[in-house]
Amino acid sequence: MGNSSVIESVLDNLPVALFAKEVTDNFRFVVWNKKQEEVTTIPAERALGKNDYDLFSNESADYFRKVDQSVLRRGKATEVPEEIITTENQREVHLRTIKIPVHDQETGRILIVGISEDVSEQVQSRRQLDRLNRHLLRANEELQITQLQLIQAEKLESIGRLAAGVAHEVKNPLGLLLLGVDYLSQGILPDDPNLPTILQQMREAVGRADRIVRGLVDFSSQRALTREPTDLASVIEAVLLLAKHEIVRSNTTVELQIRDGLPLVFLDMSKFEQVLINLVINAIQAMESSESRHLTIHAWEEILSNVSRNEGARTRELFRSGDRVVILEIRDSGPGIAPSDANRLFDPFFTTKATGKGTGLGLSVARRIIELHSGTLSLKNRTDESGAVARIVLPTKIPTSRVSIRSVSVEALKEEASNSVDTKTKKLTS
Amino acid sequence: MAHKILLIDDEAGFTQLLKMNLERIGDYEVEMENDSLKALATIRRFQPDVILLDVVMPGLDGGDIQARLQDDSKLSSIPIVMLTALVDSTELSEGAVAQAGSQMILPKPVDLQLLLRVLGEILSKAEE
Ligand SMILES: Nc1ncnc2c1ncn2[C@@H]1O[C@H](COP(=O)(O)OP(=O)(O)O)[C@@H](O)[C@H]1O
Ligand SMILES: [Mg+2]
Repeated sequence: MGNSSVIESVLDNLPVALFAKEVTDNFRFVVWNKKQEEVTTIPAERALGKNDYDLFSNESADYFRKVDQSVLRRGKATEVPEEIITTENQREVHLRTIKIPVHDQETGRILIVGISEDVSEQVQSRRQLDRLNRHLLRANEELQITQLQLIQAEKLESIGRLAAGVAHEVKNPLGLLLLGVDYLSQGILPDDPNLPTILQQMREAVGRADRIVRGLVDFSSQRALTREPTDLASVIEAVLLLAKHEIVRSNTTVELQIRDGLPLVFLDMSKFEQVLINLVINAIQAMESSESRHLTIHAWEEILSNVSRNEGARTRELFRSGDRVVILEIRDSGPGIAPSDANRLFDPFFTTKATGKGTGLGLSVARRIIELHSGTLSLKNRTDESGAVARIVLPTKIPTSRVSIRSVSVEALKEEASNSVDTKTKKLTS
Repeated sequence: MAHKILLIDDEAGFTQLLKMNLERIGDYEVEMENDSLKALATIRRFQPDVILLDVVMPGLDGGDIQARLQDDSKLSSIPIVMLTALVDSTELSEGAVAQAGSQMILPKPVDLQLLLRVLGEILSKAEE
């Protein structure tokens, strides 16, 4: 066996497709092994001595030539991660090719050697995976959108419940304004000592009515989840204003223990208000037939030491020892939770209240909202005295890795998916 | 002698402005109590001719205070006008004004003219 035939049989037995073209001879093919024949379905006798333009479409040949030239310019082996050729029997073949420029000093010939691997199967499964992944992402986004809609629906419930009280709270400043107007209509005497007080009271009344109305409008707003660094104390204040009438009417005393200098928390104000409204209204309703009605809202910062086991699986997933968190507790002096209900409180539609008073959605929605804030919500019996305590644990660090929920319609998502071209590689046909 | 009116309402601004109005228009001596828990003590001390009483208040509400007055023979005869934002104003007709007794209810926001008429009737009745 001559030297060249040894080389030939070595090449033909390689498990990879191999070709070489001579740059200095108009890029004509000089090597075309067995595997290359299989992959391209072009026999060696037809390929040898021809160049890309003789074998492939102009478009493909242009592309190959461009790659060749850049390989020559760079002067070193270059990987073309994915090339697609369509074989004579119309099969699409995806190739991963490494092109190596070879400069024979002796003869001055310049060659490009290409080694190709058929990666069609990998590509196929990767595509399938991509497709699945996209479906999953879309399903997930749709789920999140549905959840936001549910949250909003539940909020409308709360607004309905609060509306009468809010109207009442607006009537008070209006009444004050009317008294001011009545007074002034009797004549304005420049040296009347009452004037400054009256004008001041009227101004305050306008501000108060405005705050209440604005509070309700802000609370009602339907937006996608938008989190901002927020001062917890101001959220609590807004909630107490919205629920003021309910609190006064039920003769509930409220005690605030908000630690000074709490770090800002990353909150969606309106959705977080929804959580607190739910918890406060629940507490007021729970205390309906209690002797004393006392509500404590307590907020403080803590560095978690050993995240205890009985915090439940949720806490263990989200928080680790050493995490800096803000904890907010709402404690009531009601009857607390019956042991038989303890496991169902957060189930959607679980309620112990009469129709019209409760839908059973409050806690499940509240927990979902807190989870969207990467926090936890629990409701348990107090250990110090009779009553329940709702506990919210929130991270103070701003999460960077979490997927944000954009306000996109389902339609827009579908459109997006159908428009996206799934391969960045150039499609070639021969 | 000026008639004595006591305003019991947790809203300080409201009682303040109402007092100024009443004192400017009529010959009244007006006192205010914003803390419902102190209301009874103030009533005993001030001995008002009429009480304007808010319904929804923290601590004791208007109904509680009224009930306690009823139980106290020395105070049970003091006429009370309840002021409330809870009542639908259409429920209060002109006719209601006529039967001004110890249980008169006026809607908030307060119609000053209506209130003055009610006060006038109550006080003249008391003088008879
Ligand atoms: N503070 C509380 N004290 C005792 N039980 C409570 C308290 N908060 C909630 N619950 C119980 O949890 C149930 C579910 O609450 P929720 O999801 O807000 O629905 P709803 O208030 O419409 O019943 C309530 O019906 C009640 O039995
Ligand atoms: Mg509820």
